[in-house]
Amino acid sequence: MNEVAPASDHRLNLLHQLFASATHDASAAMCRWTEGLITLTLDEVREIPLEDAAVALNLGDEPITMVVLSLQGEIGGEMILTFDEQNGRQLAASLLRRPVGAGADWSELEKSALTETGNILGCAYMNALTRLIDSELVPSAPYFIQDFAASVVQQALLAQAMTCDRVLICRTGFHREGKELNWRVIFVPTDGMRRAMEDAFHCVV
Amino acid sequence: MNDIPTEPEHEKETSMACCTVVEMAGQQSVGMGQILVARCPGKLTAVLGSCVGVALVHPRLHVGCLAHVVLPESAGRESTPGKFADTAIPVMIRQLEELGANRSGLVAKITGGACMFGTSGPLQIGEANIEAVTRLLGQAGIRMAGKHVGGTKGRRVTLDPATGYVRVEIVGAQVITI
Repeated sequence: MNEVAPASDHRLNLLHQLFASATHDASAAMCRWTEGLITLTLDEVREIPLEDAAVALNLGDEPITMVVLSLQGEIGGEMILTFDEQNGRQLAASLLRRPVGAGADWSELEKSALTETGNILGCAYMNALTRLIDSELVPSAPYFIQDFAASVVQQALLAQAMTCDRVLICRTGFHREGKELNWRVIFVPTDGMRRAMEDAFHCVV
Repeated sequence: MNDIPTEPEHEKETSMACCTVVEMAGQQSVGMGQILVARCPGKLTAVLGSCVGVALVHPRLHVGCLAHVVLPESAGRESTPGKFADTAIPVMIRQLEELGANRSGLVAKITGGACMFGTSGPLQIGEANIEAVTRLLGQAGIRMAGKHVGGTKGRRVTLDPATGYVRVEIVGAQVITI
C-alpha cells in the first residue's frame, strides 16, 4: 500500500472548502428537518497524529450516544454523529413532539428519531460530496450506538492508519438558535476519498 | 537543613533511554500506536475498539507495559513501534527487560479487537490484530495469562501493575477483571 504524504496547508485549505460546501447543504437539510431549530457549521478540517486523535477530538473516555453511517469502498469513509445525552434526548423529544423520555434507557422511538436525523444529515452530506467529486457515494443504513466514542472513531481511522501515521478529520458543530450544542459530526474519509476530493477541486479551479 | 521540597519518590515519571515509565499515582492514557510502561502505583489506561491492548506484566516486580496496537503487520513500514503488533511486542519486552524484568517472568493479557461496525465491512482488523498478537506472544515465549477480545463493543481497559490485573469496562455490561 502506498504511503500518503502529510497534507500541506494548501491541500488542507482545498479540503476545507469542499467540506464547507457539503456542510452547508447538510445544514440546510438539518434546518428543514428540525423546522429551523438546528444548523451546522464546519469547525475544522485538520490532520493530526494518530495517537493524538482521541484527545484532539476531545472525545473523552465516557460512553456517549452516536449514529454512524459508513461509506464503503475505496472512495469511502465514516460519518459519526455524537450527541451528549441531554441534548440528544431533547432533539428526539422535539422531533417526536413529546416530553423528554424519563427512563434511563432510550426508547425505540427515541433511537429511531435520532437515527433518522443521522440519515437525513448523512445523505445531505453525501449528496453534496457526490456532486463535488462526481462519483456516486452510497451510505449504509445509519445505526445507533452507545459506546466509548474513542472506540468508534478508532475503527473509522483504520483505513487511513494503514497508509499514514497522521489522519485527516473533518469536524462539524451544531447550533440551536445560535447557541452551540455539544454535538458533533466527525467525518473520516478514506485516502481514496481524500484524493478524489483534491482531484475534483483541481478540476474546478 | 535543606528547605527545597523534594518530589515524593512515588509521584514522578522517569524518562529512560527508550521509554517513559509512569510511576505517578493515577492513570496515564495510552493513545493509538503508543507504548507506555508503568510501575506501581502508576496505572495505564486505553479505550479500545478494533485495536488490541497488549499488556505485559511482571507480577513480582509490579511493573507493566501497555501497547495500543492498531494493525497486525508493519510490512517493513517505518512508524511508531506500538502501531503494529510485530514491532510493538519486541519493543515492549526490551523496555521491561531494561527495568530488570526478565522475559521468563512476564505474562501477557490482551483485550480489544472488536468489530465495531458489524461483520459486513471489508476491514476485519480486530480479528487480524488478535491473531497476530497471540501468535507473536507465543513465538516470544510469553505466557498468555488472560484475554477478553472480540465482540462488537468498545472497551476501556486499565492495567494496574501493582496487582497485574487488567480491568475491562464495556458499556452496558459488568466490569470484568482479567
